[in-house]
Amino acid sequence: MGEPNFVKTICGYCGTGCGLVLEVQDNKIMKIRGDKEAPVNKGQTCVKGAFAYEYVHAKNRLSSPLIKKAGKLVEATWDEAYRFIADNLSAIKTNWGSNAISMFACARSTNESNYITQKFMRTVINSNNIDGCNRT
Amino acid sequence: MGSNTTEAHPIIANRIKKAAKSGLKVIVIDPRKIDMVKIAHRHLQINVGTDIALINSFIHVILKEGLYDPLFIEQFTLDFEKLEKRVELYTPEYAASITGLEAKDIVETAREYAGSSGSMIAYTLGITEHHCGVNNVFDIANLSLLTGNIGKQGTGIMPLRGQNNVQGAGDMGCLPNQLAGAMSLTNDEFRTRYEKEWNVVLNPQAGDTQTRTFDRLEMGELKALYIIGENPLLADVHMNHTKTLFEKLDLLIVQDIFLTETAKMADVVLPAKSWGEVEGTYTNTDRRIQRVRKAVEAHPNIKEDWEILCELSTLMGYPMHYNNSEEIWDEVRRIAWEMYGGISYERLENEYSIHYPCPDEKHPGTYIMHERFHQTEPLDKKSPFVPVDYTAPLELPDEEFPFMLTTGRRYESYNTHSQTRHYAAGVKIKQTEETVDIHPDDAKALGISDGEIVQVRSRRGELEVKAKITEQVVPGLVFMSFHWSETPTNVLTLNEYDPISGTAEYKACAVSISKIS
Repeated sequence: MGEPNFVKTICGYCGTGCGLVLEVQDNKIMKIRGDKEAPVNKGQTCVKGAFAYEYVHAKNRLSSPLIKKAGKLVEATWDEAYRFIADNLSAIKTNWGSNAISMFACARSTNESNYITQKFMRTVINSNNIDGCNRT
Repeated sequence: MGSNTTEAHPIIANRIKKAAKSGLKVIVIDPRKIDMVKIAHRHLQINVGTDIALINSFIHVILKEGLYDPLFIEQFTLDFEKLEKRVELYTPEYAASITGLEAKDIVETAREYAGSSGSMIAYTLGITEHHCGVNNVFDIANLSLLTGNIGKQGTGIMPLRGQNNVQGAGDMGCLPNQLAGAMSLTNDEFRTRYEKEWNVVLNPQAGDTQTRTFDRLEMGELKALYIIGENPLLADVHMNHTKTLFEKLDLLIVQDIFLTETAKMADVVLPAKSWGEVEGTYTNTDRRIQRVRKAVEAHPNIKEDWEILCELSTLMGYPMHYNNSEEIWDEVRRIAWEMYGGISYERLENEYSIHYPCPDEKHPGTYIMHERFHQTEPLDKKSPFVPVDYTAPLELPDEEFPFMLTTGRRYESYNTHSQTRHYAAGVKIKQTEETVDIHPDDAKALGISDGEIVQVRSRRGELEVKAKITEQVVPGLVFMSFHWSETPTNVLTLNEYDPISGTAEYKACAVSISKIS
């Protein structure tokens, strides 16, 4: 077992924005506590923030791109997946126009990823058909 | 109002409870006897979906008793007369007949809200997930503006956001009508600013909301859908309908951390890095930008959302390259400088969090918004009241479907549960499966005992679920969450939407409940 290290971050569940301290050992989150220096929660956590982190290490996490072939999702390389998407999106854009393509962005992802998400949609696809779960 | 704070925002609930101990008067407006009621000075247990009747009546009382400052109205607001006219009908007695409350409680609450030195309204999806969600919010704003409860500490309107970065995702431009930095797409100046930075000509037409996307999918106009980290099949209303719509797509791309119910329907699935594996920032419910840090290395074959999109973009002929999340954030800061110019990673490292707008490095951030309402000089732009009328939920209980179903979250679970299935070992979870929460009187009348599996049916679908007998609901009202794919509550819910926001009426639909013979 390696030495534990401590990483400060923000909780990924609700919008409160609690500061957390993650105890990490051998590339695994071992424990989470509230960050006393965090202005929002001052050290407190709820049950989700403190304990519902095992999903990060779950065995059934996706670890390969998948492409549907004959009705079944089968493993593919990144290059194959990118090529599949690029070809199909380009064909749809050519045949039906950019308005035939839509995107649902992720309210759980970072600001940085969300910025790139809309940039992709607006530059590459030239469509503003982008929305999140704000309405659901 | 419409916020089960203890279960959906536990830490905010703790802070409210602590403040209540030191004298804060808390009024809970909710159809269910939720945990917050324990510390409340008053609980207005209204009928589902009758918020506007109640708020209009508050306004009626405040106007009638003169509990507002005419000078404030004169200086800062417009259309006061329209408001007066619209709420005339909403006497406490009339509102009582709609909401199921006592007229005197409505009057007392109006006096307390208007009379205190500072009143704040916190709300959640109990307000917005109705066919009249936007009008509900307008009416909260009417009440707050009328009494000057805005723009100073201890006042205001506080929508508690349900996802860690739902605020940030919208702010970053993941909305059909808005560019990053909350800049309107239809504003030529803002659009030109982005066109220069991105070196493209942007489509000036606002795009489709999710709701509109589903409509156009039904009409056969939409061919491809790219979904990142969302499970709409389980999360959206009228699930059987959503499934049929997704089957019509030529191309469904899903990017996620798990093979969700939606991902299983996809033509291509991309594995994404999760929380704990990425660097960046989130924006919380009160506009705080805070740093998110990588704790563990992801599986080597998994990529980060922005990395995937940059690589795909480059392949499709628009090269995008960034070395790290900070480079992306600095681009946002440069373009949307009015909001984020001063919020560098370096400052966040030292200061922990900064509230936007924060235009430059010397700016402290904006802790309180709308302070203009308390300045002495006149405003260039006054704020109009937007009077609204009460409209009943679109599907009311009847003989065949005699119960009102309302939906929401439970404490230990989160949304479609793909993450909260995985708790750390040894944590004792109270609720491990879905239940339909029903009042003892109703259970008795139906001959249902606690824990018995019953059938719940609506005009759109049916399912079997355990009954939980509880006085948290009133007779005639039942409650379910949408956390478990084994019990997909959204097969029951109604696909009616607010015409402006496109938000669905998750909070009200008619169901029947019966024993399984």
